[in-house]
Amino acid sequence: MPEVLKAPLVVEFPFARSLGPVQSAFLTGLRERVVLGVRTTDGRSLVPPVEYDPVTAEEIRDLVEVAPTGTVTTWAWNHEPRRGQPLDTPFAWVLVRLDGADTALLHALDAPGPDAVRTGLRVRVRWAEERTGAITDIACFEPYDGDPAEPAGHTGEFEDVVTGIVAPARLDYTYSPGRAQSAYINALADRRNVGERCPSCRKVYVPPRGACPTCGLATSEQVEVGPRGTVTTFCVVNIKAKNLDIEVPYVYGHIALDGADLALHGRIAGIPYDQVRMGLRVEPVWTEGARYPDHFRPTGEPDADYDTYKELL
Amino acid sequence: MSREIAVVAFAQTGHRRTSEDVSEVEMLMPVLHEVLDRAGLKTADVGFTCSGSSDYLAGRAFSFTLALDGVGAWPPISESHVEMDGAWALYEAWTKLLTGDADTALVYAYGKSSPGSLRDVLTRQLDPYYVAPLWPDSVALAALQAQALIDAGDTDEPALAAVAARSRADATANSHAQLTGSVPHGDYLVRPLRTGDCPPIGDGAAAVILAAGDRARELCERPAWIRGIDHRIEAHSLGVRDLTDSPSTRLAAEKAGAFERPFDTAELHAPFTAQEVVLRKALRLDDSVRVNPSGGALAANPVMAAGLIRIGEAAARIHRRESDRALGHATSGPCLQQNLVAVLEGDPR
Repeated sequence: MPEVLKAPLVVEFPFARSLGPVQSAFLTGLRERVVLGVRTTDGRSLVPPVEYDPVTAEEIRDLVEVAPTGTVTTWAWNHEPRRGQPLDTPFAWVLVRLDGADTALLHALDAPGPDAVRTGLRVRVRWAEERTGAITDIACFEPYDGDPAEPAGHTGEFEDVVTGIVAPARLDYTYSPGRAQSAYINALADRRNVGERCPSCRKVYVPPRGACPTCGLATSEQVEVGPRGTVTTFCVVNIKAKNLDIEVPYVYGHIALDGADLALHGRIAGIPYDQVRMGLRVEPVWTEGARYPDHFRPTGEPDADYDTYKELL
Repeated sequence: MSREIAVVAFAQTGHRRTSEDVSEVEMLMPVLHEVLDRAGLKTADVGFTCSGSSDYLAGRAFSFTLALDGVGAWPPISESHVEMDGAWALYEAWTKLLTGDADTALVYAYGKSSPGSLRDVLTRQLDPYYVAPLWPDSVALAALQAQALIDAGDTDEPALAAVAARSRADATANSHAQLTGSVPHGDYLVRPLRTGDCPPIGDGAAAVILAAGDRARELCERPAWIRGIDHRIEAHSLGVRDLTDSPSTRLAAEKAGAFERPFDTAELHAPFTAQEVVLRKALRLDDSVRVNPSGGALAANPVMAAGLIRIGEAAARIHRRESDRALGHATSGPCLQQNLVAVLEGDPR
């Protein structure tokens, strides 16, 4: 079996999220070292607070301050913290019911070891030094053996309320393209275009993806196509893409390689952009050491007849 | 006006830690062909196609459209997709057949967990305001649930280890399973859960064919009739829920008619040992019910397909006359947040 191709793939976004009025008050409160809950119609106090009653779905807005002290309702010892988690030393995940609340909040508990943690343990909030109006304004919880703190009866009204959060998220993957695409990419590195033929409809797909989308069958017969081809359609790009070192305007086209039944995408150069046309005959241009063609350029042949590529549009 | 609808065929991949040698469609396609062959159908004979998958697993945008290449969707087919376990795709297909718009449906699901870090990927399904910024991984949340059960006196660590051992022993008879036989229970991953309490991470796919009424009888010697199916969800905030119980499972089972008569088999989607304890309690299972003869999710847990596989395994036992009335269960979300129950029956022997 040929070597499996792999490459790192990072998916990363700074998700910007707007807040509802209850979330806004709660997160603004954390910034001010005040923990707010919300009262349900049956008189329970939910911490963390939500916009709608989880039982009745009624809109709830009655904010109530609770204490920064509370009781662990369940816990789990995390000896190997992962990226993004609240502490980078071993800690306990905890659900904490704060004094004055009827529900529990998920966070981290800084404790010396699992033997120091149990359900029923009394804890208090350890505030982050820099607070912005986010759940991470609570750095973590810590064991606490004092009396329950008395909430000051805050109204939930603040100056300069937080109306949104930015939550960065990053996931790391190892991309592998599979059998058919690996074979295509490996052949391309040898400057050969190798497609695959459907055993039923006989169409040759370049690049191949392993399945004939029309017949739903595996393609496996490899067929070398090109290198020359015909421009079936194109567009003139006038917007410069980020991180792309190509002057605009340039032409991006669909190119049906000779012998292929599906056009692939490619940049067309070596000809003024306003002279590119359907039917233009082109060939790939390779740069030293590249695994794929940099662009396609005119071969100088006469244009292809429309009838020869009309099925490939 | 109600139509009888049955699972008439089921197929699945061998589930593996990695499938890096094949793309998603290359992994899925043999299963599609196998399930269609079992029912004696071609794509063109199928009235409705519905799939379940998540792009987050492999980090590939719109991967379900590429997977559709394996179906052969030309001429254009009637098709839908859910960003959920395939059990929910089956639910959509079941409702489609109920309307009479179609007589047969292909339902499939696939998941490649190997390209990413599954424990972290699954944090992205959590409340994005209060929970996801803390990156509590899937094992950590299941561990909180397990500790709550231990504190409540519902289980202990040896009992959890016994669930794991039984599941993997049963899985030795399941050629598709990933983790079978005698598996060390291992060290704590997130205490109180040890590696043995957690499902294997792996890639896989599954598919079933649904058919209505006489069409089902034509396609299958002993159809697994879906007598009822229902799904229910609980509040997303973990601190609002009683983690030692699963009222959503119980309600879904009631609505699906599970308690009207005894069932002999239950395929439960409990990726973590402690979750089987919760589900047994919610479903009031006693020793007369054979739980997870396939080995369950502790033996193979291809995310997005593992729930559909529970229904497929339950149906296959009815097809094989090893069961007369079986319950298939699927879960989604942290700590059994959302649950689906299907009640399957074979015709009397």
